[in-house]
Amino acid sequence: MNHRTFVVTALAAVLFLGACRREPPPPPPEPTGPTPEELAEAQRIADSIAAEAARLEAELAAERAAREARERARAVLTQRIHFDFDMSEIRPDAEQILRQKVEILRASPNVHIRIEGHCDERGSNEYNDALGNRRAQAVVDYLTGFGLDSSRFATVSFGEDRPLVRESNEEAWAMNRRAEFIITAGEGDINPPGRSP
Amino acid sequence: MRVVNRIHLLTVTALLLGCLLPGRSGAQEVRDTFPGIRLGLIYEAGFAPVLAIKPFTSRFGGGGVASPAEAIIARGLRYSNRFTMLDSLPASLLGEGVDYRLWDQLGTTWLLTGQVEALGEGYVLVLALHDVVYGEVREQDRFILPDPVSEHFRMAVHRVSDRVVEWIFDEPGMAASRIAFSRVLADGSIEVFVVDSDGENLRRITNKGTISKSPTWHPSGDRLAYVHYPDWEAGKIHELDFRTGRVRMLDPGREGQQVTPAYHPNGREIAFGLFGHNRTGLFSYDWELDCCLVHIQGGRWEDISPTYSPDGSRIAFNSNRLGTNIPQIYVVSSRGGQADLISPYTPGMAGYFTSPDWSPTGNRVAFHGRIQRFGRYQILVAEVAARGARVLQLTADGDNQDPSWAPDGRHLVFAGERSFGYGLFVVDAATGRIRTLVSNVRVQNPEWSPSLAESVERALRESGS
Repeated sequence: MNHRTFVVTALAAVLFLGACRREPPPPPPEPTGPTPEELAEAQRIADSIAAEAARLEAELAAERAAREARERARAVLTQRIHFDFDMSEIRPDAEQILRQKVEILRASPNVHIRIEGHCDERGSNEYNDALGNRRAQAVVDYLTGFGLDSSRFATVSFGEDRPLVRESNEEAWAMNRRAEFIITAGEGDINPPGRSP
Repeated sequence: MRVVNRIHLLTVTALLLGCLLPGRSGAQEVRDTFPGIRLGLIYEAGFAPVLAIKPFTSRFGGGGVASPAEAIIARGLRYSNRFTMLDSLPASLLGEGVDYRLWDQLGTTWLLTGQVEALGEGYVLVLALHDVVYGEVREQDRFILPDPVSEHFRMAVHRVSDRVVEWIFDEPGMAASRIAFSRVLADGSIEVFVVDSDGENLRRITNKGTISKSPTWHPSGDRLAYVHYPDWEAGKIHELDFRTGRVRMLDPGREGQQVTPAYHPNGREIAFGLFGHNRTGLFSYDWELDCCLVHIQGGRWEDISPTYSPDGSRIAFNSNRLGTNIPQIYVVSSRGGQADLISPYTPGMAGYFTSPDWSPTGNRVAFHGRIQRFGRYQILVAEVAARGARVLQLTADGDNQDPSWAPDGRHLVFAGERSFGYGLFVVDAATGRIRTLVSNVRVQNPEWSPSLAESVERALRESGS
C-alpha cells in the first residue's frame, strides 16, 4: 500500500467512526507544570526522608556501638582471673580486671554471676576444693567491698577437677589456677560502665 | 619402689630424713625439716610365723570350689603381711592326714587344712587351724560359701581369711573389705569405682558424666556416700544403697556446696564440709531422722575432710585457718568447741598437711603432707595424744596422697604417683611393704570400707545360701 492509498483509507475510517458519535470529543486539556507550592512540598518530603534516613543511620550506629559496648562489657564480666600457687589473694593484674567488672556490675543491677574457683593439679584433691572455694570467696569479698549486693553472687569450687589445660607444666598450672565468671541472670541487661541502668 | 632394709629402718630414720629433705635457699626464711617427723614404722618389725596351707580337699561335689577358695584364702593371708607363707605345695608331697612332724620339719608354725562339700545350692568349707608346735587342732569352723559364680563368692571366702587372722592374733583382718575411690576418665569426667581389697572385682559405681567424688562408706558397708556435681552445679552428697540400688540425696535445709562426707560410727549421722555465702564450716546431720543440722566448726576459712574417731566422740579435720598455703590437721569434739592442732605446725615453717583419716584403733590419724613448699607428698601418721609432737612418715618414694585405714588398723590405701604412672597402693605400716592395688589409672580419694564380713553373712542369709 502506498502513502496516498493509506491516507484515503484512514480518512474513510475516521469519517465512518465519526458518523457513529453524536458529539465531538472535548479538546484535550492544556498541559500544566507543578505549582511552586507543589514543588516546595515535594522538596520538604524529600528532605524529611533524608533526615529520617540519617537519623536511622545514626540510631543504628549508636545501637551498634551500644551492642559492641555491651559485648565488650560482657567479655570483661566473664574474663577469668588467675592466682598464685597455693594462694587466694587477688593479684594486681586480677584486681585491674575485677575493678572493670565492678563498674559494669554497678551499671547492670539485674546481672547475677556465679564465680567458679579452680586450682592446679598439684595440691591435695579435696583440699583443692577448699582452696578453690577460698579463691571464689576472695573474688566475692572484693566485689562486695565496692558495695555490690552479695545476693548477686554465687560460688562453686571445682578444685583441680576442671582444668583449662590438661598438662603438667608451669604454664598449664598457671592457667588452671583461676576464677571463672558465669552470668546466671540478666544476660540481656548488661550495660557498659558509666551507663545508668 | 625403693627397697629399704626394714630391720635397720628405725635406727637410720632421722639420718635418712635429712637426706630426703634437702635445705632450700632463698630470701624467704623457711625451715624444711620438722623435728617431729621421722621416717619409720608404727610397730616394731615383728616375727612373722610360717603359715602353711595344705591343698584343700573336697567331697560330695565340692571339687570345683576347693581350689579357688584355697587360692583366695592364701592370697588374703599373704596380703595380711602377718605370715611367712608356705602354700601351693603339691598334695602328693604331703600325703593323707596331717603329719605334724613333716610340717614341723618344713618350719611351719600354723597349718590350715580345709575340705569343701556341696550343701544345697551352695557349699560348706570346713576349716581347721593346726598348731604344729603343739601338734593339735587349735580352731575349727564351718563356713557357708555361695556358688563361685555368685557376686558374693570372693567376699565370702575373704571372710574366712579374716577369721584365721582373728584366731591367731585376736585382731581384725582386712581381706573382706573393699576400697572405693574416684577416677578421672579420658573425657575429664570423674566417677566413683569400687575394688576388692585384693585388687579383684573392679567396678564402676556412678555413671553421671560430670563429677562424682569423695566416696565414704557407711559403717554397715552396705551404703556408700559421695559428692555429685549435677550439671556442673555445686556438689551435693548422694548415697547409694548397694542392697537396693537406690540413690538418695542429702538435703540438710541449707544452701551451699557440700564436700567431703564422713559417716558417724553410729551410721545415722553424716559430717561434711559446707561452702556457702560468707560462712563455711563443718556440719553434721542426722540422715536417719532427717533433721538436726549441727555446726561443728567454721569461720572465714574452710574446714573440710572430717573423720570420726571410732567411738564417735571426736572429729579430725583439715583447715586452712592459718593460711591457704599451710593447711593443717585439727581434732575437735564431734559437738564442736576448741580445736587442737595435731599436724606438726611450727610458725615460720612451710608445712602443708591434708586428708586426715582416723585409725580404727583410735589412737592415730593418718594424713598426707609436704614439708617443702614445692615438695612431694608423703603419707604421715600422727599420734593423736601427742598433738603433733610424734609424726611418722610411711612413704619416701614418688607422690603419695589421701591415705585411708584398712579395718585392721595396720594397712593404708593411698593414691600414688610413681615413675611408671598413677595408681592405688597399699602400705603395711608394720612392715613398710607396699603393693599396687590398681595401676595405670588416675585415682583420687580412696576410702577403705569397714569389714564386710557381716555384710556378706547377711547377703548369704538373704539369698538362702
